[in-house]
Amino acid sequence: MLISRFIFFSANRRLARAPNLLQRFGPSKRIQSCGYVKSAKNNYKKPTSHPVMNVETQSSRSWSAYVIPAALLGFGGLVAFLHYNDERRAIKKGQGNNRGYGAVAAPIIGGPFTLVNTENQIVNEQDFLGNWVLLYFGYTSSPDIGPDQAQMMAEAIDTLESKENLKVLPVFVTIDPQRDTPAQLRAYLKEFDPRIVGLTGPVSAVRQMAQEYRVFFRKVEEEGDDYLVESSHNMYLLDPKMKVVRFFGLEYNAEELSKEILKELKKHQPKAE
Amino acid sequence: MMLEAYAAGKRDEIHTDVLLKARQACYKARDAFYSCLEMQSDKKPTEIGSVGLLYPTECKRSRDEYVMNCRASWVKHFDRQYCKTKRTQRLLDDRETRRGIMELFGSVV
Repeated sequence: MLISRFIFFSANRRLARAPNLLQRFGPSKRIQSCGYVKSAKNNYKKPTSHPVMNVETQSSRSWSAYVIPAALLGFGGLVAFLHYNDERRAIKKGQGNNRGYGAVAAPIIGGPFTLVNTENQIVNEQDFLGNWVLLYFGYTSSPDIGPDQAQMMAEAIDTLESKENLKVLPVFVTIDPQRDTPAQLRAYLKEFDPRIVGLTGPVSAVRQMAQEYRVFFRKVEEEGDDYLVESSHNMYLLDPKMKVVRFFGLEYNAEELSKEILKELKKHQPKAE
Repeated sequence: MMLEAYAAGKRDEIHTDVLLKARQACYKARDAFYSCLEMQSDKKPTEIGSVGLLYPTECKRSRDEYVMNCRASWVKHFDRQYCKTKRTQRLLDDRETRRGIMELFGSVV
């Protein structure tokens, strides 16, 4: 049964091949035939060429007569539309919004998070509602930037509290949760300021929070247990409703930081009242 | 829940080599090594540090101090930063005297 099917199949294949061979000779025949047809057509065309061409040119002229004005109208319409759009979008002189660099306008950065603090207690964002929060994502094994930023945070908080009597809660979230245990964070942050709240947790929780706050971090120079974490260094200022109001990059020092935070707080005071 | 397990089960070990005292010792050793490099900049660099940093044998002792006081990843980080600043300094200073790009990129220090 199988054998007969195989033979039938191969026979079919051979038959299919045969017409291919025929077709190879085909094109040459077809060319000739085309030649015949063409010449025949030409012959047919010549005696009646003039009327045919007249009709064709007449029809082509009327058609082209419509094309050019239509194109011009379309172009004019496009220009008018663009002009109207420009007028609509233009901001009149002197009316631009002066929000300054660093203000977060439309994208809502931030979100709920659940992490563990240095006392091994579970903390989520509800616990910070009602406080102004200065949030920093760092790690304890940072060679130079981490300590500098933490120091700056501590100094700014200190200045604000002593001079302006404004309480801002500093929060340090670690982007290296595998090495930064709560005990490690506690020992590290204690040296800067006892008020800094340290947050860590399982890797997935930290990653989720970093994603919500649009923080990039990545392990580099990995040699077993010894690695550095490359990250987008930003300090976020959150208002009492846990909304990101402002972010500060590396270029700020402690004084500028406290001045800017003061500005933001003053801006929000009248709204609160 | 995962968080409770995390809060309960984490070991209590602390990496003391990133705390304040260790950091300050590391910075001091690092600065001593780099100043040695500056002072001996006319000597031929023969020893190889990390990430392509070359230094003369006179600075070997400060190099060992430096490596002992800092983590390996920190050593690499600082060396890389040093080379980068050195390179940009050279680009800015000796534009007239230096000939050819290969000299700048051949040796790092």
